Amino acid sequence: MKSKKLISVMIALCMLLSLGITGITATAFAADDPIVIGVISPNTGTLAAYGTGIVTGVQLAAEEINAAGGILGRQVELVITDDQGDPTECLNAFNSLVAKGVTLIIGSATSGCTSAITDAANEEEVCILCPTGTADSLTTEDDYIFRACYADSFQGAIAAAYAKQAGFEKVGVVYCAADVYSKGLFDSFSKACEEYGIEVAASQSTASLDVQDYTNQFAAMVSAGVDFVYAPYYYDVIGPYVVPQARAAGYTGIIMGADGYDTTPDYVVAGADLTVFNDVYWTNHYDPGADSEIVRSFVAAYEAAYGSIPSAFGATGYDCLYIYKAAMEAAGSADAGDVRDALADTSTVYECVTGTFSLDESGTPVKGAAIISFQSDGSAVTSTLVDVVTQLP
Amino acid sequence: MNTFFQTLIVGLRLGSIYALVALGYTMVYGIIRLINFAHGDFIMVGGYTMIFVMPLMLRLGLPAWLGVLAAIVVCALVGMGTELIAYRPVRRKGTNMTALITAIAMSLFLENLAQAIPAIGPNPKVSSQIFGNGGFKLGTVTMEYTTVITLVISGIVMLVLYAFTQRTRLGRAMRCVSEDKAAATLMGINVNSTILLTFGIGSGLAAIAALMYMAQYPKVYTTMGALLGLKAFVSAVLGGIGIIPGAMLGGIVIGLVESFTTSYISSSMADTFVFLILIVVLIIKPAGILGKNVGEKV
Amino acid sequence: MKSKTSRGYLLNTVVVVVLFIGFQILTSLKGSEGSFKLVIVPSIWQCCYLMVLAASLNLVLGFMGQLSLGHCGFMAIGAYTAALLSLACERAGLFENKSDLSFLLVLIASVLAAGILAALLSFLIGIPALRLKGDYLAIITLGFGMIIINIINNLPFCGQDGLAQGSAAASLYKNGLGFGSKAKVQFLWFALVVTILSLTLMFMFVRSKYGRAIRAIRDDEIAASASGVNTSYYKVLTFAYSAFFAGVAGALYSCTNATLSTSSFAFTNGGILNSTFVVVMVVLGGMGSLTGSVVAATIMFFVNYQIKNGAWVEHLPASVSGVFEYPMLVYALVLIIVILFRPKGIFGSYEFSLQNLIPDIRRARERRKAAKAERKEAQAHG
Repeated sequence: MKSKKLISVMIALCMLLSLGITGITATAFAADDPIVIGVISPNTGTLAAYGTGIVTGVQLAAEEINAAGGILGRQVELVITDDQGDPTECLNAFNSLVAKGVTLIIGSATSGCTSAITDAANEEEVCILCPTGTADSLTTEDDYIFRACYADSFQGAIAAAYAKQAGFEKVGVVYCAADVYSKGLFDSFSKACEEYGIEVAASQSTASLDVQDYTNQFAAMVSAGVDFVYAPYYYDVIGPYVVPQARAAGYTGIIMGADGYDTTPDYVVAGADLTVFNDVYWTNHYDPGADSEIVRSFVAAYEAAYGSIPSAFGATGYDCLYIYKAAMEAAGSADAGDVRDALADTSTVYECVTGTFSLDESGTPVKGAAIISFQSDGSAVTSTLVDVVTQLP
Repeated sequence: MNTFFQTLIVGLRLGSIYALVALGYTMVYGIIRLINFAHGDFIMVGGYTMIFVMPLMLRLGLPAWLGVLAAIVVCALVGMGTELIAYRPVRRKGTNMTALITAIAMSLFLENLAQAIPAIGPNPKVSSQIFGNGGFKLGTVTMEYTTVITLVISGIVMLVLYAFTQRTRLGRAMRCVSEDKAAATLMGINVNSTILLTFGIGSGLAAIAALMYMAQYPKVYTTMGALLGLKAFVSAVLGGIGIIPGAMLGGIVIGLVESFTTSYISSSMADTFVFLILIVVLIIKPAGILGKNVGEKV
Repeated sequence: MKSKTSRGYLLNTVVVVVLFIGFQILTSLKGSEGSFKLVIVPSIWQCCYLMVLAASLNLVLGFMGQLSLGHCGFMAIGAYTAALLSLACERAGLFENKSDLSFLLVLIASVLAAGILAALLSFLIGIPALRLKGDYLAIITLGFGMIIINIINNLPFCGQDGLAQGSAAASLYKNGLGFGSKAKVQFLWFALVVTILSLTLMFMFVRSKYGRAIRAIRDDEIAASASGVNTSYYKVLTFAYSAFFAGVAGALYSCTNATLSTSSFAFTNGGILNSTFVVVMVVLGGMGSLTGSVVAATIMFFVNYQIKNGAWVEHLPASVSGVFEYPMLVYALVLIIVILFRPKGIFGSYEFSLQNLIPDIRRARERRKAAKAERKEAQAHG
């Protein structure tokens, strides 16, 4: 009885003490110490698929960099933390990283989580490079925040421009009202449509990303008589749910999406009629089937390491570390302030898996979008590059 | 008119799934008065079992859906294991509320354990086609056979369960336990093994629900049971919890409400209307559609 | 008897004030230190809103015996109300930066408005819902929780359009309630004062005639109504009172986080802040013990925080720290073990009190001694 109580008191004390210790260990890093880079991502919970994608990408890059001699002669050490997709946990993870003395951070996966730490990062003067947070506002106001992906306003507008170019005057939209990514793309798409003089004839939404049935939404598209539907969702609903159900509902027109469609061919129902995936288009950072050396070697290395094809999360995570590397080498230092100045230099060109680009004043990549279509002969789905758009019309 | 038929069919499709899941809920709740939050996660367990077993079946030249047999066994074992390890000790010591907390903890445990297992992981998995495509025309809209099969299976399961609880010795024992545990013990019924059996059957039903779910919505992921379980539970309550035909009725009503809201009112407010219907029904008829209002004894 | 009660109040007040002043001194001394600013202060802020939230649910669940599974819905209302009000005030030019006196007034107004709006809505919900009992009430409150989240998601001026997206969240940080690390240290006193005030008000409620009435309802509703207690009046009142403090907790939440996303208030989600975990906190702390809820909220926060961010995790053997990569898995296990070994919760229905601390310990020791003796006797007989 007594020993049990003693143990529980001891454990409680240990926990309290370690809370203090987390901060005390923060010390200045000497020149030969490894460069510590923090990663914040949702590694468990409902968004775990995104987080593990980012972490595997960053880890692969770190292994490659370390094997090649590191950055500025110093090895890279990763501190991986989990935010479970929750803003509060994201802020906690950020604070504990900063308390440990980490000043370069990659994270987080979603705009919601990242926006919880952007101002804290400015206050603490810590660099944040966000792999997949697409909300426009993430980087605009902040000095220490950069990202490796498109902003929503660009990607949605590209899709609208494509619709215009293809001669559609009436389009429809199906999106998720409760998801920042989907909603953000919907907003920018409909805004661009207005600019281009395209009528958004039908707009349907779903309550959450857990919705299984999209038939009614697409039936509404059919009755509105549109032949072009913008459906910004992720691969895990596009493959099994959205496209087959849209076709079953009698919708035969074009379905257009964004980078969330990447890796959809791995999430289709084997044995079902896959010709439904014809006439599905999407915008992406890069063409996974492209012949560029850097993409090929990345995909091969990723497959060798993890036994699966990298998702867009893996690719942008991988790029983040290489962008940091380029910035540190340009700055000649791993100090957060110097790295920030290097990243803020809009003339630097980064050659990455997700394209060759520079960062604009706000810290968002300036790069073209690849428009890709799915093709299927019935047994498998393949992606084909349709067009590369570098500038908005 | 087409929109109407389309909406009806989608509603029936969703509803048939909810009904099948709700049957498992109502079964367990009827006996031990515990909202088994982990029931949704048993469906996830069944789903993953089938994902792993189905390629094996196809290689042996058997139809893929036979994988459900393995899933039934695994689910029943997981269900009975949960009862033995977590629920039974808590029931002996604690109150209703502690049992509920245990159920929440168990649900959390199963979801996160699945994520931690490398073969499952956080990425969703998509199953291969289980039943062939096809269906009959209703106007210009196709009613898929899979939906019909699901409805028929729900109906059969409902009838079998009903007959089982009404006609067999074991079923009578179950009803006895749900009425009065102490009296049941006095009548020579082994309460613990009856409850264990209930969990076995309820969880086995989850495997069948998982099969029909995957046949229509072929994606499996670790948190798939959360919202599905919740809506199924709501269905069971709506129909009158503990009442087997009520679960089926409630499931179909919830499915139809969800579908018609999406089509005719607001596609992003479907959840609001599902719960609103539940609230309205409970306020008018507190014991559910088929439930009987029992006056409280003083 | 009277003098004893007032002596108790005096003792508590003195201790609270002394602790508070000590804490203020500590803050002014260590305010700029990294670990204090980045780890300890944000932890205290989070503990504050969790404590208020858990204690407020305990009024309904522990003292009134009605299970509500949608409590975080009221918190969401509070959080969004406070955030939107503060943003509106900023746009109206009522304050310019956070050191203004007018900001303090806006802050207080936001917290109050958060509580009041949550209470009003709970009033509307409570009137029909509280006619039901037990699991039916649980499911109906769960439904209301989902509806609140769904509606907030679809409101054009909050939902995903406004606050959860970067721009508004960022401006909440700069212009609204959201506190940065330095501001959190600076306003720590505010969180503590609000928490202490809320807890005190809840204590007073429980000790009042209302508290006695709702405990009577919990123990036997029919007997209570037969003895002249207007059960539906007390139930709805308590529900609203409890929702008020959930709203206050929501306001504290939006101060702490500077970004709001409805998924944080859902029925279940990745973190520990959701309607299910509030119930867990109350049961773990002991139903009918406000101090128990406070302790349980703190423990839950620490366990959750430590599993993920604790320095000691790195020193564990690889196999154990591998499991620790799945915080919710560890968490679920801890929860099951605690429930198995202490189903009544940490405090049961015991209230910690400074005045009775020593007699309580003495009594507990005597009781244990008696139990031991009894067991020995039983053994000797057996």
